[in-house]
Amino acid sequence: MADVITVPQVQTAQPGLRFLRVIPGVLLLGAIGYAGKLLEQNVGAYAKAHHWTFPNIEYVLWAIVLGLAISNTVGVPEIFRAGVATYEFWLKAGIVLLGSRFLLGDIVKLGGVSLVLVAIEIIGSIAFMTFLGRVFKLKPKLTSLLAVGSAVCGVSAIIATRGAIDADDEDSSFSIAAILALGALALFTFPVIGHFLHLSDRAYGLWAGLGVDNTAEATAAGALYSDAASKLAVLVKSTRNAMIGFVVLAYAIYWASKGQAQTVGNKAAFLWQKFPKFVLGFLLISVLATYQFFNKQQVGALANLSRWAFLLTFAGVGLRTDFREMRKQGLRPFVVGAIGEIVIAGFTLALVIGASKLFGW
Amino acid sequence: MSVEQRVAAANRWKLSLDTWAVVLALAAALLIRAGVFKHIPW
Repeated sequence: MADVITVPQVQTAQPGLRFLRVIPGVLLLGAIGYAGKLLEQNVGAYAKAHHWTFPNIEYVLWAIVLGLAISNTVGVPEIFRAGVATYEFWLKAGIVLLGSRFLLGDIVKLGGVSLVLVAIEIIGSIAFMTFLGRVFKLKPKLTSLLAVGSAVCGVSAIIATRGAIDADDEDSSFSIAAILALGALALFTFPVIGHFLHLSDRAYGLWAGLGVDNTAEATAAGALYSDAASKLAVLVKSTRNAMIGFVVLAYAIYWASKGQAQTVGNKAAFLWQKFPKFVLGFLLISVLATYQFFNKQQVGALANLSRWAFLLTFAGVGLRTDFREMRKQGLRPFVVGAIGEIVIAGFTLALVIGASKLFGW
Repeated sequence: MSVEQRVAAANRWKLSLDTWAVVLALAAALLIRAGVFKHIPW
């Protein structure tokens, strides 16, 4: 009997097939997002016409809730999964397009302040999560993944770090589940706390960008508050994302020095590989807008296109959050993550309130 | 050329999801700039 030989495939015909496979899921994202938009317009009008007291619920929340309802009841059928997974792609394209609404001067001014706050947030979060991991006797690499996930940018940071420090799949699944569950909670609690504290759009946007881990959830948490808060949340979150390479590199060097990960050869190439390229796209579009490459009408069209991309993202946030799957991952990493997130949210809120007083926002 | 070399050569030209998102957004921006899409409704 001949042995079965596994030969690596040169994937020449795959791009076309992959494109076809994502279509049903992308259509589902579009349908849920658009249903959210219709519900926002019609539910409010219906309630008003019938003299009901009903809060104005934004399309962002409708899209997320509809997605959550599907994923946690009937589940997402296999045919839609590849397309639903593209929600991060739409998020990044939306962020690049959002660059047209920022003038370079604003980015330098706000980016400078946020860079200082981001640096404080990253150092504080990593130190606190490492401390918590030791108190709860979590495995050291699981602690590293939770620390990176909560300090920098959620799932992307965990995936980047997993490869760099040779963490096992179980540890990364634990940390991803904890970060996703806590991101979903942050999405609903941040706007409530922001309104309760009467935070300005600027202060709230800064807080959402600093305190919410995943970029999609940070964008949604900002959009649930106001358009201006959403813009700032995206800017601050992108600044955090830009730090991913440095943090992952530091962890890779640390674990390599302990002989538990491969050594990093070319550090500049490593940083470039991990750097989120959409941040560069965002800056490029902003430079073009600043030098009036686009007229006013075109900037409006780009902003609307960015909204459509975010609409698909928000539907995807709901659809990929399956609390039943998360429950299977166990309680301890979730408890550590929850304590860490609450402390980090309080810490970043104190930072933002301090900065607001200092700069008179 | 061995299969491994062909795989490595093919992978060298693969763009990340991140980069594809930037390419798509820039292409859309250029089309809007060129007037192909004059108005995007919301």
